[in-house]
Amino acid sequence: MRVISFIVTVLTGALLIYGTVDMPNWGDPNSPASKHVSPRYITKTEIETATPNMVTSVLADYRGYDTLGETTVIFTAGMSCALLLRRRKKKTTR
Amino acid sequence: MLEFIVSKYNFWIYIILMMIGFYAMIAKHNLVKKIIGMNIFQTAIILFFVSTAYKKGGATLPILLNPHGHGHGAAESAVAVSQYINPLPHVLMLTAIVVMVATLGVALAIVIMIYRKYGTLNEDEIIKAMK
Repeated sequence: MRVISFIVTVLTGALLIYGTVDMPNWGDPNSPASKHVSPRYITKTEIETATPNMVTSVLADYRGYDTLGETTVIFTAGMSCALLLRRRKKKTTR
Repeated sequence: MLEFIVSKYNFWIYIILMMIGFYAMIAKHNLVKKIIGMNIFQTAIILFFVSTAYKKGGATLPILLNPHGHGHGAAESAVAVSQYINPLPHVLMLTAIVVMVATLGVALAIVIMIYRKYGTLNEDEIIKAMK
């Protein structure tokens, strides 16, 4: 069983490494991740949000709805943990 | 061939880490070891995304070096985009870290419930006890 798992793991890893042939080089300033909306966040963060920290301005101002969804995820996980870990009291017969 | 490896070796390192976590998830028999494998897998994905944010050529952290107060009409110095690394993957991976911790918490709560009911954490014994 472990041999089959190891072979499947190696095959999946080889497939993923073959998939990185098309990806941009490491540190390429012309990669598609740095081209479309990211320069606007970098150049306009001081003008539009008055925050020199770009990560804060993107997290709290430009992408505020994502942060709202993140707090919903935390709340749901906390509630499900609290509901799962209850001990049931044995009902005593009267 | 060597140039191909050198230009993309960050993706290869994180794929190897991802496969280590994947092997732990499917091959180990203890439930807690499977959860640790899931954690390694998710961490590798987060590091993979963050590594795509780097820009060569002397780029620094995504915090402005000389911010100029609240001058809405003052002369604005142009911000060079190639001087700062891409802040967007860092922000999206903050949310991913939070989701990772949330799934880890719920998975451990389910494992506690399984242990209370069956008394063991070995996957084969649990399947045998369920039949």
